[in-house]
Amino acid sequence: MGQLVVNGLALGSIYALVALGLLMIFNTVQIVNFAQGQLLMLGAFIGITGAVTHELPISLAWLATILAMALIGVMFMLLVYFPLRGRPPFLVVLTTIAMGIVLENLALIIWGPLPVSLPSPVRGAPLRFAGVVVSMHQVAIFGTLAVILLLQFLLLTKTRFGILMQATAQDLHTARLVGIAVNRTIAVAFALGAVLSGIAGLLVAPLFLAEPTMGGSLGLKGFVVSVIGGFGNLSGAVIGGMFLGLIETFGARYISSDFRDAYAFIVMVAFLTAWPRGLLGEKASEKV
Amino acid sequence: MNKTVAMACACLVALAMPLAIRDDYIIQLVNIGILNAIVVLGLNFVTGWTGQINFGQAAFYGLGAYATAIATKAGLPWIVTPVLSVALVLVAALILGLPTLRLRTYYLAMTTIGFGEIIRLIIVYWEPVTGGTSGLRAIPPISVFGVSPHGLIQHYYLLLATLALATLIAIRIRRSALGRAMIATRGSEIAAEQSGVDTTRTKLLAFMIGAVYAGLAGCLYASSIRFVSPDSFSGVQAVLLMTMLIVGGMGSITGSIAGALALTFLPELLRFLGQWYLVLYGLGVIAVIVLMPGGLASMMAMIAPRRGAQR
Repeated sequence: MGQLVVNGLALGSIYALVALGLLMIFNTVQIVNFAQGQLLMLGAFIGITGAVTHELPISLAWLATILAMALIGVMFMLLVYFPLRGRPPFLVVLTTIAMGIVLENLALIIWGPLPVSLPSPVRGAPLRFAGVVVSMHQVAIFGTLAVILLLQFLLLTKTRFGILMQATAQDLHTARLVGIAVNRTIAVAFALGAVLSGIAGLLVAPLFLAEPTMGGSLGLKGFVVSVIGGFGNLSGAVIGGMFLGLIETFGARYISSDFRDAYAFIVMVAFLTAWPRGLLGEKASEKV
Repeated sequence: MNKTVAMACACLVALAMPLAIRDDYIIQLVNIGILNAIVVLGLNFVTGWTGQINFGQAAFYGLGAYATAIATKAGLPWIVTPVLSVALVLVAALILGLPTLRLRTYYLAMTTIGFGEIIRLIIVYWEPVTGGTSGLRAIPPISVFGVSPHGLIQHYYLLLATLALATLIAIRIRRSALGRAMIATRGSEIAAEQSGVDTTRTKLLAFMIGAVYAGLAGCLYASSIRFVSPDSFSGVQAVLLMTMLIVGGMGSITGSIAGALALTFLPELLRFLGQWYLVLYGLGVIAVIVLMPGGLASMMAMIAPRRGAQR
């Protein structure tokens, strides 16, 4: 029982990380990136190429992945968002989906369909108390989530750049009018969003195996988790992540593991029916 | 070239097609293309006219197909299956649409993706009834009070007639108050509400009409192709149906049909590309959205410019 709670929270932290990346982009341009899961998959495979294929030290592989993901995030923005700025947002949703298909199949061509494993960034004996085993990797997951949540909070509220992002999110045109380099701000938001999902990928790969088709369901769960927490709300996303992680872990144990991917959507529909603004409330209302 | 003449030519070509083409494989592919066209016409109500992203169309298609397959294999007469399929998809559309259509665009997109995944899981794991991943074979044929179409060509004409009917209904709805409400909702929900349009009701109706199109196409799919498997109604298929609409031209009836037919054949022609096909396919979709938002329909309009063009 206690073990299931720990495993559920670790899984939930991964979902929360995916959601934080999703919200980094959403809170700046009001676009839901449907390829967030595929970016995560890329992060996992770039890490594997570094740490397993080229036998780099794991810290170096992480660094390389983070840099690569920042670059990929900017290219992603230039291809998928930039040409469609000012056009109806649902067109961007469609291009992100198409980009997800491109990335997934490129990965299949480059890395092949077989699942591969990535070593954890931390080593050491698991912690044990009262019969509950917490692996060092799970500790690393919790730690990473806490650090990223803190950094993201500080970035958005305490730095000049965070203020620029908030201004861009509130009103792109006025932001441009008062001299904010809107396009650069948006590019950085995409870069950070891609880095966050890359880190989530680096943490997922040691837990399950990495395969090119892993992105779809993880990306969707990042969305579900955001809906549960209140779309746009960072702490809500973390709470939502934990909630979904627990539901999936317990559901897989006590109801059926075949349907574990279905719980997320049932929970989401339930939330949309009962609390459409999520646990902590939606951040922004629809713009006119 | 005048619009009526073009329509007449298209009808003549469609009617004469089986005389010129004797290849069973191609006729079967055309039949599937027509079924896809009906589903995409349904999608056009929701996405093309009302501006809502719906990835549940493949699941509704599958729901109709599997309901028909299971019911007729259990011995029910064929005539009840269209009713059964429509009833099932309407219930599903209400469950999905009621909570999500009041909210932002993304919610319907995500919920319908999730719905598609749930339907796929049920098909795959409820093996005694659905046949699991290997699907259901030897589904009883269409039979209306003992009369059945025989062979691919008779099925072709039956499906063609259904497509014609589906097109006529779509044209009628587009010209009705409901059709105008859909276009207004796509343009701006706030402006539409200001003009007295009940946008939630409009979106829900569009979503349900689309689901009915898909459910009926699924019903015909099961009993004319006579084989169903989960692959035909997967998430990939949902994206493909959306692509047919985008490439054909969102909001255009002729575009929907042209897109569905073109993209039913394209994968067969480009089979030699293997995995690269899907990479190019994704990039192609982005290129169409960015460079040619009107799709094939806008190209056709460029070739034959006409005054008072209707979308």
